[in-house]
Amino acid sequence: MSNGTPTEAITKTGAAAKVQRKPGLLRRSLKSRRTVIGLALTILVLALAFLGPYMAPHSPTEFVAAPFSPAGTGGPFGTDNLGRDVLSRFLAGGQTLMILAVVATSLGVGLGALVGVLAAYRRGWLDEALMRTGDVALAFPQIVLALLFLSIIGPQLWLLVLMVGLGHLPRVARVVRGAALSVVERDFVKAAESVGIPRWRIMVKEIVPNISSTLAVEFGLRLTYSIGLVAGLSFLGLGLQPPTPDWGLMINENRIALTISPWSVALPVIAIALLTVGTNLVTDGLAKAAIGSDQGVKE
Amino acid sequence: MTVHRRPRSLRTLTAMALAASLMGLAGCSSAGTPAADAGAASSPRAGGTLRVGIVGGSAKDSLDAHSPVTHPDEARAIQLYDTLASYDVDHKIQMSLADKITPSADAKTWTVHLRDGLKFSNGKPITADDVIFTFQRITDPKNPMAGATALSGLERDAMKAPDPQTIVFPFATAFATFPDIVTQYNAGIVPVGYDPKNPVSSGPFMTESFTPGQQSTFVKNPHYWRAGQPYLDKVTIIDFPDDTARVNALLGGQVDAIDQLPLGQVNVVKANPQLKVLESATGSWLPFTMRVDQAPFNDPKVREAFRLIVDRQQMVEQVLGGHGTVGNDMYAPFDACFPQDVPQRNQDIAKAKELLAEAGKSNLSVDLVTSAAAAGLVEAAQVFAQQAKAAGVTINVKKVDPGEFYGDQYLKWTFSQDFWFTRDYLPQTAASGFSTSPYNETHWDDKQWTDLVNQANATTDQATRCGIIQKAEQIEFDRGGYIIWGFPNSVDAYSSTVSRFTPDKSGIPLTSFTFRNVWLNK
Repeated sequence: MSNGTPTEAITKTGAAAKVQRKPGLLRRSLKSRRTVIGLALTILVLALAFLGPYMAPHSPTEFVAAPFSPAGTGGPFGTDNLGRDVLSRFLAGGQTLMILAVVATSLGVGLGALVGVLAAYRRGWLDEALMRTGDVALAFPQIVLALLFLSIIGPQLWLLVLMVGLGHLPRVARVVRGAALSVVERDFVKAAESVGIPRWRIMVKEIVPNISSTLAVEFGLRLTYSIGLVAGLSFLGLGLQPPTPDWGLMINENRIALTISPWSVALPVIAIALLTVGTNLVTDGLAKAAIGSDQGVKE
Repeated sequence: MTVHRRPRSLRTLTAMALAASLMGLAGCSSAGTPAADAGAASSPRAGGTLRVGIVGGSAKDSLDAHSPVTHPDEARAIQLYDTLASYDVDHKIQMSLADKITPSADAKTWTVHLRDGLKFSNGKPITADDVIFTFQRITDPKNPMAGATALSGLERDAMKAPDPQTIVFPFATAFATFPDIVTQYNAGIVPVGYDPKNPVSSGPFMTESFTPGQQSTFVKNPHYWRAGQPYLDKVTIIDFPDDTARVNALLGGQVDAIDQLPLGQVNVVKANPQLKVLESATGSWLPFTMRVDQAPFNDPKVREAFRLIVDRQQMVEQVLGGHGTVGNDMYAPFDACFPQDVPQRNQDIAKAKELLAEAGKSNLSVDLVTSAAAAGLVEAAQVFAQQAKAAGVTINVKKVDPGEFYGDQYLKWTFSQDFWFTRDYLPQTAASGFSTSPYNETHWDDKQWTDLVNQANATTDQATRCGIIQKAEQIEFDRGGYIIWGFPNSVDAYSSTVSRFTPDKSGIPLTSFTFRNVWLNK
């Protein structure tokens, strides 16, 4: 390590940056009260969604009383449009939303990062082609595209994930490209190229770690959008099929009786609101902490 | 809700009921207004504008008398065009523009006699020529209208007018259900040279304005034949594609009446002293349809097992909130010939399992295609899926867009649902029972049954015909492809300032949209 070859120097620099940045980002973000509140809200809703099915007093498809019974009849929050226990359906209905939103976000951010890094690193015609294609895709509102394909092919969960994920792709790619552009010009990247390290390896091992804070913020932001989008599409009947419990579907099925049986709508609405606010606060905290983490690269 | 309209309107090609005996109809005199009015405490008041919010409507809305598609279309047609006869609230045929409809002994020829002094809204007398023009327009082979299929046996070129008030309708074969066909709202009488874009009215109102997909306004027809009617000066029909908006319009006083009150809003409306709920027991039905020519339903044991899976009372309670009556896998409950002595089929999971095992279909998994094409369809599918679990049957509910439901695959789904308004038995069989019927969802093609129904259609004696119909119903009860779990009530709502909305068995909302009977107390 002491002979000062470029590879070793790069590795050393990169490793040092990583060591400083990773714990720093988390620690710094948690110093903010809003991040802690956001994290608490997110964990609360996640716990409800994943532990809820085991705590539900009834099966989510069991009929317990007359449709739209008020709170206290058939269950503490009344019954839904078919006389099923609102609490049980609420507890059982969040898991899928979470899973779909996380998978779609991972897909979108993963592919977006790949495209963004590739465009920033290769530049030239590939950069132009990828970014201009992204511009065209950005011209279409995300929900309209999702509605179009879901209407043509039919409500399939894989398609829902694909559409939500691909909707994020051009936005993530644009942000990541911007962040990666400043990294690819750095000396350690040029040094790595000069010693013949494969390009894919430079992208994965040198560039991506140095934009991880951007990626973390982007993931949080896109996750918030995904939750809203998946819930919205479920509300429109393009997500899970009835009688499967699902928060978006619950809102749609029961909204007509909002005045007499409000909990069947209010519970999922509150949960989705808390989750989106929570993830947004966490993302905000990460973004603020990430400003400091850039300095680690400069060092 | 616009989606269910195409099939429904097409279905109205066929008549709703053979309500009265043929011989009983002969010489039946005019009845004018329906009988009792539940809500009328005062005598009729003239004047005012009734604003009605009706589900659906689209840019394709039409004023055409013979091809109403959407709910608002139906409502408009009923205001603009009177028919030769009409149903009363008990689903009995009463004379309207005609004062007599008489069959020949073999029911191959029907003679219609018009009332004296009938006039269109432009003052022109309504004559036999107009009636012949109307039915020739409906059955025009180049452009057949909604009622054409039901009148396929009419020898349209041989219709005659012996005098200006008499029309003779010849048929190729005996046609016992003729009075029902001419009673349909899509058989309104129009003048010779009728232009649907500038319609001349034979009904209680005439067009003042019309904007497709939005609203239409109608004013009193000064030449209307029913003395004193309509009481209202104007009727405004407003399209409401969204349930919530329609209910809010009523709650906010923007409309005086709405059709199809959602179940979740019944108690809200009941709690408001300014509003009233109009609930009618009907013969409408929301069947599950099993294709009898495709596995697994080509085995009658599987069909019977599925029928035994259904807890019908639970269906009515959970799907309709109790606003309906239990069915017994037979349709046309208001038909005079409806068999009353067939034992009620109840849920029997053990027997269902046994039948499925005998058929080699234990642990069956079936897709059930549903759609929000009519209120209650998706809900019924979910309840059935839950009930089927007990029998080890997995029902995969596939909810599709109403456009897709009524698209290319409509009538081809192996296991699906549909809905029908009140009809009597023979008109219903014409619509859905024969292999040539336009809406044979179950692909029912049973020779013994077909022979019986053909025989019933050609039988003019009611007692004899009832015996034949009951045998045919029994066959459908034993091995048919429908699961008829119940008959939903029609539930509408209106302001307490409106009088004379009356419960009505037809299933058509707001007392069959007969606003000529209605008046305002404000």
